[in-house]
Amino acid sequence: MTAIGKVVATELKPATPHQFHFWTATDTSVGIGAIVKVAEGGTGGTGDGGRVVYGVVTEGFAYSDLATPLHDVVGAEGDPTRADEAPTARQQIRYWTAAVLRQTPEEPLQPVPLGQVYVADDADVAQALRMDTFLFSATPTAIPVGLYTSAGRDSPVYLDADFLLGPEAAHLNISGVSGLATKTSAVEFLLASIFAHFPAHKGRVAAVCFNVKGPDLCFLDQPGDLSDEDRRRYERLEVPSEPFQRVRLYAPLKADGVNLNTLRTHPDLVGDVEPLTWGLQEVVDYAEVLLNRDDIDAKADAFIDFLRDRVLGRTFDDGFGTTHRVQTFADLDRFFRAVFDGLEITAGGRSDTWRTHHIATMRKVRNRLLNISTRCKGLVTDDGPSSDLPWNGFEDRTVYVIDIANVDPLGQDLVFARVVSRLREQLERRELGVDAVIVFVDELNKYAPGDGPETYVKKMLLDISERGRYLGLVLFGAEQFRSQVHRRVVGNAGTQVFGRMDMDELATPGYQVLTPATKSKLATLPIGELMIRHPHFTQPIFVRFPKPPVLRGRDGVERFPPAADVPFEDAVVRQLVRLDRRVRPNQVKDLIADREQDDVRRALAAVRRTRPDDVLAYFRKVLGARVEPEALLREHHAVPPLNPISDEPY
Amino acid sequence: MTWWRALVDAGAVPGRGSTRDEVEAGARADLVEENELQTHPIPEPRIPDPVSFLNGIERWSVVAYDGVVQVVNAYVAAAVRRRDATGGLHTTFERSRGFAIAPLDRMTPMVRQALEQSVADVESVPSELVEQPARYLEMIEATVRRARARMERELAEEALDDLAADEWLVIDGLLSRSPDVARHPRALGVIKSHGAQFLEGRGLERALTLPAGYRTSVFAVRGGHTRTEVYSWYLRLWPWEGNDLLYGLLRIEARAHPDTVARASALSAWLWTERAPLATPATRWDRLLYPLHHVEEYLKARAPRDLQQRASRMSRLPRLAS
Ligand SMILES: Nc1ncnc2c1ncn2[C@@H]1O[C@H](COP(=O)(O)OP(=O)(O)OP(=O)(O)O)[C@@H](O)[C@H]1O
Ligand SMILES: [Mg+2]
Repeated sequence: MTAIGKVVATELKPATPHQFHFWTATDTSVGIGAIVKVAEGGTGGTGDGGRVVYGVVTEGFAYSDLATPLHDVVGAEGDPTRADEAPTARQQIRYWTAAVLRQTPEEPLQPVPLGQVYVADDADVAQALRMDTFLFSATPTAIPVGLYTSAGRDSPVYLDADFLLGPEAAHLNISGVSGLATKTSAVEFLLASIFAHFPAHKGRVAAVCFNVKGPDLCFLDQPGDLSDEDRRRYERLEVPSEPFQRVRLYAPLKADGVNLNTLRTHPDLVGDVEPLTWGLQEVVDYAEVLLNRDDIDAKADAFIDFLRDRVLGRTFDDGFGTTHRVQTFADLDRFFRAVFDGLEITAGGRSDTWRTHHIATMRKVRNRLLNISTRCKGLVTDDGPSSDLPWNGFEDRTVYVIDIANVDPLGQDLVFARVVSRLREQLERRELGVDAVIVFVDELNKYAPGDGPETYVKKMLLDISERGRYLGLVLFGAEQFRSQVHRRVVGNAGTQVFGRMDMDELATPGYQVLTPATKSKLATLPIGELMIRHPHFTQPIFVRFPKPPVLRGRDGVERFPPAADVPFEDAVVRQLVRLDRRVRPNQVKDLIADREQDDVRRALAAVRRTRPDDVLAYFRKVLGARVEPEALLREHHAVPPLNPISDEPY
Repeated sequence: MTWWRALVDAGAVPGRGSTRDEVEAGARADLVEENELQTHPIPEPRIPDPVSFLNGIERWSVVAYDGVVQVVNAYVAAAVRRRDATGGLHTTFERSRGFAIAPLDRMTPMVRQALEQSVADVESVPSELVEQPARYLEMIEATVRRARARMERELAEEALDDLAADEWLVIDGLLSRSPDVARHPRALGVIKSHGAQFLEGRGLERALTLPAGYRTSVFAVRGGHTRTEVYSWYLRLWPWEGNDLLYGLLRIEARAHPDTVARASALSAWLWTERAPLATPATRWDRLLYPLHHVEEYLKARAPRDLQQRASRMSRLPRLAS
C-alpha cells in the first residue's frame, strides 16, 4: 500500500484522540467522506508495532504560500486576466481534517499518531465502521445498505440487523428534498436487501408499506429499468436485482362500493388488489382516532366504551320501548334517533342526560361516527368487515402495501391506527406469523408532526418508536424535513439516513454537529448517494445504492395506465371472477340485473368474507333474500392504551 | 507639508527608505551594445520551457567553547528545481553538507579528540584570529559562504551537464564563479545586490533611474581574479519612484557572446514575467524571483531543526535551568 498523505499537527491544530489533520498531493482521490487509515511506525500501512487509526474526512482546505490576497493583485497588476500568466505556480497544500472512526488498540485512548495516511480498502472499511463484529461472527447480522465509493473504492457497507430491526436498537428515518433525495427508492432497496439478508436465526420478516403518494408503491412486484452499473452494484452487495416476489396489495373501494380506490387498476394487474373494507365494529374500536384528532374528551371516551360494551352486536333496550341490535351504521343511526326522540318525548326535552351520558356528548360521538361512514365510503362499509389483512398469517419476506393515497386524511389515520395497533397486538401475542414487521410510513411529517395536536396516530408512532424494538415492530419513516417531525420519533430511530438536503434545513439546530464541508456535500449530494448514521458508525458515512429493483410508481402508471371505473355490474363481475375464475360474467349480470345495488354490495361482501368454494352458487344464495349482516361474534378489540405524550420517554 | 515636498515640486523624484548593499569590488565595465548606456523597453515575453532554478542556503552557529575557541556547527545546501508545464517545481539536483568548523591545532587534545570522533566532516581553520572573536566569526562566516558557493558551483555544473536541449538554468547570484557555467549558452545569473559598481556618470544615472519594464544596454563584466568574463545588464521589475534607487532592480549575467546582446531584450521580457507570483513574505521580494525563493524555502524546510531558526530571532534572555 502506498501512503497518500501524512498526519501533521501543530500546537494550534494538534491531533487529538477524536480528530486529526493531514496533507495530500494536490491531485488526490481523497474527498469529503473518504475513509482513511493512519498507521504508526511499520511500513506499508500495516501499523506493525504501532496503533492504527481509522478516520473519515470531514473538512478540506487548500491554500498557497500567498501571504495576503493583495500580493496576488500586485503580481497581476490589478488585472484578473493576467492573474494566471505567472510562470510558476505557488506552493499549495491540500489539507484535510478527519474525524476518528476507530482506534486499535482502543485502550489507552490516545491522540492520533503523526503517521502516514492510506486509503482504506474493504477490510479497513469493515474495521473502521466496526462491521467486523457483526459481519464475521458465528451468527452474522449484516444487511448491505450500499457501497462506500469515496477515494476510488467500492466497498460494501452493512448495517447490523440487531440495531436496525431490534432488539438492540431499531427504526430508520430518512430525510431529504423531494425527488433528489431518493427517500422512497432507498427504502425500497433496503427492504429488498433486508429480505435477502435477514439472518435465519432471527426468524421471519415482513413489511407493511402505506402508500400515501400517488402510485409510489403500487408496482413493487414489477421489474424496473436497471443500468449495468446498477446490476453490478447489486452483485457487489449480493442482493438479487429482482422485484419483490411476494407482494400483497390492499386498497379501499371507491364510494360506489365496487371499484377499487387505487391507481393500480390496469386490467392486467387489478386482479391482485384486495379490497380493504371495514365495518362499524372496526371503526368504533378505533373511535378515539376520530375524536382525538382535535379534542380529547373523557366523556366521549366513556360513551364510546358504553357503546362498545353494551350496544354493539347485542340486544339492547333503549328504555323508550325499542329493542336494538346495532351492527351497521344504519342500525347505529336508528339507535341514536330512537334515543334522541325518546328523550324529547318522554322527558319533554327537560332532561339532557341519558344513562349518565350528556346529550351533547352523544351527539358529538354520533356525528363523528356517521361522518366517517360518509367521508370514507368505500373503506368503511355498512356490512361489517369484509376484507382485511391476514392478521394471523403474515408470510415471510412479503410486502403488504396498503394504498391509502386517495383516502380522506381522517380515513388515513383510521387505517394507520388500526393496522399498526393490530400488528402490535399480534406481535405481542406472537400470532402474526412473522417475527418482525417493518412499517414504512412516507411523509412522516404529516402523521407525526413536531407541532400541532397530539393525535392518536402521533402517540401511536411515538409508542412504536419507543417500544417497538422489543416487539419486532420497526418503523421506517421518510420525510422531507426532519425538523418538522416529532423530535422523539426521529430521535429514537437507531439508523438515520440523509439524501440531498435543503440548505435551510441544514441550518436548523439538528445539524450543528456536521462540519460546513459535510453540510455542503449533503446540500449537493447526487441522486443515489446517501449519508448514513448507524449505532456502530461513530461518524456519518456516505454510500451509494443502486436504483430499486422495482417499477417506479410514475413509470408504472405509464406502462399500466389505470383503467377507467367500470360500470357497476362489470365491477361486481370482476370481483367475483377474482375469487373464482369459473364465474361466467353473463350469469352474474343476469342475477343482479333487477336488484338493489345495496343488496348486491352486501352479497358481495358476504362472499368476500366467506370465501366459499363455489362462489357463484353462494352469491346466488345470499342474494336470494335480504342479507343479514353476519352476527358479530368476535370479541371486540379495545384500543390498547397509550401513554400520553410527554417529554419523558417513560 | 514636509520640506522635501518642495524638492519634489522642483523636479526631484519622491523616495522612501533605502537599500544598503554590502560594498563589493567592481571593475569598470565596457559597453558591448551601443556606445553609450541606453534604456530599452522590453518586448512581449516568451517564457522558455522548461526552466530550472538553482539556489542555496547556509546556516551556522557556535555550539561549544574550548576555552576561547569557538566551535561552529555549519550547514550548507543547494538544490535545482525544474519547472514543469503546470508551473510546479520539482527537485532534480540536491546536495547538503553538515560540518563542524574549528581551529583544530588550538584545541585541547581531549576536546579535539571528541570533536574528531563525533563529527565525520570537520573543516579546520587557521588559529590566528581565535583571540579576536569578532574577526574570527567574520572568518567563519566567509568559510561557510565559500562552502556554499562551492556547492552551488558544483551543482550548477552538474545541472548544466544534464540540461535538456532548450532548457535554461537560472542561478541566484553570480554566473561568473565557474568558467563552465559562465560560458554556458543557457545559463543566467540573477543578482539582486548592487554593492559592486560597474558604471559611472550618465550611464550610471540611467541605470539607477531605469523605469520599470526597461533594461539597460549590455556591458561586459570582468570580475575578480578567478572570474570569467560575462555580459551583464540591468532590468527593473517594479517602479522605484517612491521607494529607492535599487528597488526592483536586477542585474542579469549571461555568457560573453554576441548572442547575449541579441537576446537581452527577449530574456529581459521573460524574467519580467517572473515578477509574479510575488516572493512575499521575503523582505527583498521586489528583486527575488518566486521560483528562486521557492527553492530557498524548500531547502530551509529540509535543513536540520537545530539550525533552522535564525540567531537573530532567538531570545537573548538568560536561559533558566530546568
Ligand atoms: N440509486 C439510484 N440511482 C439513480 N437514480 C435513482 C436512484 N434511486 C432513485 N433514483 C431516482 O431518483 C428519483 C427520485 O427518487 P424518489 O422518488 O425515491 O425520491 P423521494 O425522495 O422519495 O422523493 P419525494 O420526496 O418526492 O417522495 C427517481 O426518479 C428515481 O428513479
Ligand atoms: Mg418519495
